[in-house]
Amino acid sequence: MVYDTIIIGSGASGLSAGLYAVRYKLRTLIIKGEFGGETARAGVIWNYPGVAGIDGYELMKVMQTQAKDGGAEIVSGKATKIVNQGGCYEVAVGEKKYIGKTVIFAVGTERGHLNVPNEAELTSKGVHYCFTCDSPLYADKTVAVVGAGDAAFKGALLAAEYCKKIMILVRSDKVRAEPATFDKVKARPNVEILYNTQVTQIVGTTQLEKVVLNTPYQGSTDLVIDGLFIEIGARPNTALATALGVELDAENYVKTDPLMQTNIPGFFAAGDTVNLFGHFKQDITAAALGSVAATSAYQYVNNHPNVCELHAIESH
Amino acid sequence: MATPAPAHTVTIYSTPTCGFCHMAKDMFDEHQIAYTDKNVQADMAARQEMFAKVGGQSGVPVIDIDGIITVGFDEEKIRGLLGI
Repeated sequence: MVYDTIIIGSGASGLSAGLYAVRYKLRTLIIKGEFGGETARAGVIWNYPGVAGIDGYELMKVMQTQAKDGGAEIVSGKATKIVNQGGCYEVAVGEKKYIGKTVIFAVGTERGHLNVPNEAELTSKGVHYCFTCDSPLYADKTVAVVGAGDAAFKGALLAAEYCKKIMILVRSDKVRAEPATFDKVKARPNVEILYNTQVTQIVGTTQLEKVVLNTPYQGSTDLVIDGLFIEIGARPNTALATALGVELDAENYVKTDPLMQTNIPGFFAAGDTVNLFGHFKQDITAAALGSVAATSAYQYVNNHPNVCELHAIESH
Repeated sequence: MATPAPAHTVTIYSTPTCGFCHMAKDMFDEHQIAYTDKNVQADMAARQEMFAKVGGQSGVPVIDIDGIITVGFDEEKIRGLLGI
């Protein structure tokens, strides 16, 4: 089986690409990776037009159903290698290999880490990266949130439903959260924002006990907390693409033209792994980029109908 | 005829808002593998049971498959344990 397009990733961009691809009647394979991407763990999505507030995971399930009902094949697992042979792409998922005329690379981003002592050792032992998963476990407890973006502030709002006290640690004197989110946070009496504050060390043996700050809070750089949530953005997940020779931009996002074409013919990219809308990473932008990538893949397949057949002849 | 015993004994400790918990449960549902779902947000006894199994504070989901504990939705490991 030669697919017209192999979509790597099942977040908003990958699933949107899948929906468009099947409507173009492309033989479409979606390699899931981590289902739903960032959206699946974002909590309630309030700003996706046409949907009046929906859990992110549910939104992704709807998008998956749309692609699947249209005929897309969906496989679990993570793509581990992409090989370009004569313009035809072989994508490995563990031991299995899939052949496609085009690839839509929509793997999104990987979460940012503080890279301070004990962060890895105490992950899930007081240190967390998922508000929607773990903040309910801190009912009536004190937690700190690291981050200045909308995701961090939305997370703090969710945590404020359960926790006794939340301290948001902002590295500079500026907050990047949307004004509407920021206003909601400011209205919460159990949330305090500490500016120009960074975590330099996480302390604990088997459990988080405290963090050490770069600047004193109430006379001490030791901040005793029950939980620490880290939401400091994400980095593009480009390893598979760079191994293939795909060019990145200055910030290490996959470089594409406005039609989502990379420097390698037939290899398209979409979603948070590209930087076409700058740092504005939303479901609406990811879905839009996915739809454009699918359209470009459709045009490419129409213009290169025999690319994989030639490859098959050459390789056997 | 007696109902056959389930091939695996599975408990999933979850919170209602946790996307990874939903993913885990969807996978078990898809493969028609029965499990007991314990909401550790509301059920304090279940929460303590989960903490005891992992040896302290934890994130969710925590998945107990025949006594083998997995913290987080480690799909590859879970598929291996279930043979799917």
